[in-house]
Amino acid sequence: MSNKLIKFEIVTPERVVLKEQVVQITVPTKQGEITVLPNHIPLVASLMPGVIEIIREDGNSEIMSVSGGFIEVLKDKVVILADTAEMAEEIDMTRVEEARERAEKTVKELRHFDRERFAGINAGIAKELARSRAVKRWKKIKKID
Amino acid sequence: MANTRDIQNRIKSINNTKKITKAMEMVAASKMRRAIEAVLKTRTYANLSWNIVLNLSQATNGNHKKALHPLLIKRENIKKVGIILISSNRGLCGGFNTAIINKAHNSIKIHMEPEEEQPEFIIIGKKGVTINKYYGYDIAAEFPKADIISEIKEVLPIAKIVLDDYLSGKYDKIMVAYTDYVNAAKQIPRVKQLLPIDISTQDEYLGIVGEDTRVGIDKEFVDKKKEKYLRDEKHIYEYTFEPNPKEVLDEMIPRLIEVQLFQALLESNASEHSARMSAMHQATDAAQDMADELTLFYNKSRQAAITNEIAEISAGANALSE
Repeated sequence: MSNKLIKFEIVTPERVVLKEQVVQITVPTKQGEITVLPNHIPLVASLMPGVIEIIREDGNSEIMSVSGGFIEVLKDKVVILADTAEMAEEIDMTRVEEARERAEKTVKELRHFDRERFAGINAGIAKELARSRAVKRWKKIKKID
Repeated sequence: MANTRDIQNRIKSINNTKKITKAMEMVAASKMRRAIEAVLKTRTYANLSWNIVLNLSQATNGNHKKALHPLLIKRENIKKVGIILISSNRGLCGGFNTAIINKAHNSIKIHMEPEEEQPEFIIIGKKGVTINKYYGYDIAAEFPKADIISEIKEVLPIAKIVLDDYLSGKYDKIMVAYTDYVNAAKQIPRVKQLLPIDISTQDEYLGIVGEDTRVGIDKEFVDKKKEKYLRDEKHIYEYTFEPNPKEVLDEMIPRLIEVQLFQALLESNASEHSARMSAMHQATDAAQDMADELTLFYNKSRQAAITNEIAEISAGANALSE
């Protein structure tokens, strides 16, 4: 394996979530999950709600949830423009569950009404799901129960 | 003697005005703090995304004859330009509105081609309407501007208008005139080309938001990036799109236009509140100076009146004793 590093940066309109040198990045794109290694060909893709995993030089990994956005891959640089993104350790699980339950309840009540709102709430559910998946994955890796 | 009562009344009224300007200064200061916080938070995202789009526009224009997306195509004949002008809702903010309006006007004067129609304005904030009064430009739409802007939702209707009008061919170019926030004392009015997304426009038009060193996005910067990341000894790389260019760009470019507009609005907002704060600060200082001067004048005239009175009394006493 090459010892080249990738300059990785993930930003949302609110903040810079993470900016670091990494060796590997796994992201959920619209066409499925892809893993980016150094010297990847330039790529632009849109993202799905899901889990981003990066591996640092020392082998430690880091988990993030993302609700959608874009990824730009350059030779040794990756930029993710996320709509929202959080580090797994920042996510409060109880609040995630609450939010998801709330959203699902609204969807049940609302199904026959407004299409746009329905889509909006569904996107919200997908986002919360991505968050909880991120937390689960993180716990598994860090072996926290 | 100028009567002391009149002077006293004036001092009172000036002090009242001073209280008001002081209060406005403080209100503006607190709004400014929030606006600045907001603007700094989004800058990185706005700059990175603009960088990507400029890069794409160049990567695709340079290598293929046909661009990948209608929003990346530069039109041959510019018939009409649409300008989004971001002004304030209220006055009392120094030269803020005048500066941006003049900047827009001058930019039109310099860059307008003879065969072009008069540009049309889309105004954000009530005060921008004066561009119609002073220079006679037509106004296509007017939006109110909130004092505190926090959500990107607020620019969505504006973004929709410009995208629709651009794609339908009503406008061949979209500019945005906004005030870039540098620091509390310095704000620069700027005109930037929003559509078509094109790296080869004059540098004046390119999006340089803020003063952070890593965000100087001009031609050179993008070229350097291309040199660094998209080329090795033998090959020039091209972007791959997943699932395909159209789908990605259809989603990406409108989103990035929204972000750019949002950023411009935030910059203007921070600038407006800073401008208002310093204008009100100056007004407070001026009121203080005036009150001081009048107080001195008041004391002098009071003293003169007393001296006068004593002189009269002693003259009278003298006359009696003789």
